[in-house]
Amino acid sequence: MTRLLRSTGAALAAVAVLTATACGGGSETTASGGDGRPRIGLDLPRADSDFWNSYAKYVPAYAEEAGAELMAPTNSQNDVAKLVANSQALVSQGAQAVVMAPQDTGAIASTLAMLEQKKIPVVTVDTRPDKGRVFMVVRADNRAYGEQACEFLGEKLGGKGKVVEFQGSLSSVNGRDRSEAFAQCMSTKFPGITVFAEPTEWEGAKASAALQTRLAQHPDINGIYMQAGGVFLAPTLQLLRAKGVLVPPSDPQHITIVSNDGIPQELEAIRKGEIDATVSQPADLYAKYATFYAKAAIDGTTFKPGPTDHDSTIVDLGNGVLEDQLPAPLVTAGNVDDAALWGNQIGR
Amino acid sequence: MTAISPAVAPPRRVVRLARFRDLALLPAILVLLLVGVLIDPVFLTATNLTNVMQQQTELALVVLAEALILISGKFDLSLESVVGLAPALAVVLVVPAAAGGFGTGWATALAVPLCLLVGAAVGAFNGLLILRLRLSAFIVTLGMLIVLRGLQIGITGGQNLFELPPSVLYLGSAVWLGLPASVWMTGLLFAAGIGVLGYLRQGRALYAIGGNVDAARAAGVRTDRVVWTVLIVGGMLAALAGLLMTGRLGSVAAAQGDGMIFTVFAAAVIGGISMDGGKGTLFGALCGVLVLGLINNILTLAGVSAQWIQAIYGLVILVALMLARLTTGKAQD
Repeated sequence: MTRLLRSTGAALAAVAVLTATACGGGSETTASGGDGRPRIGLDLPRADSDFWNSYAKYVPAYAEEAGAELMAPTNSQNDVAKLVANSQALVSQGAQAVVMAPQDTGAIASTLAMLEQKKIPVVTVDTRPDKGRVFMVVRADNRAYGEQACEFLGEKLGGKGKVVEFQGSLSSVNGRDRSEAFAQCMSTKFPGITVFAEPTEWEGAKASAALQTRLAQHPDINGIYMQAGGVFLAPTLQLLRAKGVLVPPSDPQHITIVSNDGIPQELEAIRKGEIDATVSQPADLYAKYATFYAKAAIDGTTFKPGPTDHDSTIVDLGNGVLEDQLPAPLVTAGNVDDAALWGNQIGR
Repeated sequence: MTAISPAVAPPRRVVRLARFRDLALLPAILVLLLVGVLIDPVFLTATNLTNVMQQQTELALVVLAEALILISGKFDLSLESVVGLAPALAVVLVVPAAAGGFGTGWATALAVPLCLLVGAAVGAFNGLLILRLRLSAFIVTLGMLIVLRGLQIGITGGQNLFELPPSVLYLGSAVWLGLPASVWMTGLLFAAGIGVLGYLRQGRALYAIGGNVDAARAAGVRTDRVVWTVLIVGGMLAALAGLLMTGRLGSVAAAQGDGMIFTVFAAAVIGGISMDGGKGTLFGALCGVLVLGLINNILTLAGVSAQWIQAIYGLVILVALMLARLTTGKAQD
């Protein structure tokens, strides 16, 4: 019924998109000037997440730096059908390369085939298509997110205890990668820790309900891993505050919390001692290298697997598809004031 | 759809059937309680059951709103977007610009009334389109669902609102006499709704209008005025639900309430509210909410994996429905 309703409302949704982008603020798009610079089309995956809004704000400046003309961005609102329509529109408006972040990594295959046929190179950001050719995947290593969180929690807890994990949606490659890597690392390195993996579909309300229930069942829970700080941070802190267990790390009752994303509010929570660490997902580097590779693709530059000049590694995913795995630093109380973190640069 | 409408049956029988429909879910609830205890003894503790109730308050209020609207023969899909928009709009009007507000800097005491006002305004606007312009309630409110969500994203720039005034957080997080304030409020509002629908002329008019609007009008009921009022009350209830959710979760998420309307309809229909109008009781709808809440709680306690939870959730709902059908012998529509 969701699908039916969503598609019925597609036309109306288009109106909503226009409203959303019009009032979105911060998008410095220029009308197609035709000044001879290569034109890059950009599709944003959604308008309702702090992380992606930050990314959207970074892109225009980096496109300028790469020497490309950024077309007015489209927004596919987490809906692969809109992404397909948007890419077609971008191409017909003259995009020479398309930057996108398909959240449904399976259903995008035919669109990629269409773009390949038209010789339009595609750079995907944050997600890797399950099938189909793209010029470059710009992505942080999401398995590494799960592992970093696991190692931090495991060491902090001394290898024993009970940990609640808010799993992202398993229909997304990022939710799967983080969940699998976390589970694997926990079971091999810290078998003394019991993990409660809570399905949340990236929804704060579901995570809050699951945590509340789990705390009633196991009051001795001493660790939480949230796969997305943007949606889980406030509900978690509010619940722990209400139960009176939001205490500083020095208190033996403290629940060790590792988050993911690196939005300003998470960094603030680390400074206050409410959470212990977060994996800073590089919104700025995503924007920078997405536009960099899109421009390079138009220029005909090619890349080879191996280390790059910006602390990352390009890996071959097979089938000629390359992925630039950008570094995602773990932020703790020790380095939370590092000015290089994107969460510290955008203020709020 | 039943072939025989209760109206042609003798009056005493109608009363009895209505009672049955009211209690249809009780066996299912009992079975769920039993299963819950077997899975984990923690289930029956006061803490856990309070948690279940608190987690369901927002859903319950939206179901209350939707049930009233469905009984009077209309439809409102836009309630789920009100759950997000109403608190978001109220918050941006009172918080400073640095916290994502408009910079209007209105008194924070205005936040709660503003929130309810937004809900009422949306209900009134829906009423205008449905009753004055005679547009289809389904399409109007579907359009509004999308417009209102878009408005929220536009106004907040798609950001979650993290810095909230205490007055906004209070209702969703306070505890009165050992129970969360939200549970008290939801209970009282349901009691009031049941009272109005059962004993007041204006309340009973909802059934008359939902059953046959022309007959109701001929009988002297001001049908449009009653339905309009119901839509406005529905909007306010959804706004209150949004406020409670904001207090419980500590932020106004950009996607707050997104997709909720399907659960709302599921709870209402499981609880015996007819999509065709004129049938069902608020007590039944409340039972529907409880059933969904208990299922969720049990699945979490049992630690069902993410891959299977949706399939099992849907299956348990179907079993609960079948159980209700078997124990009461009353056909569902």
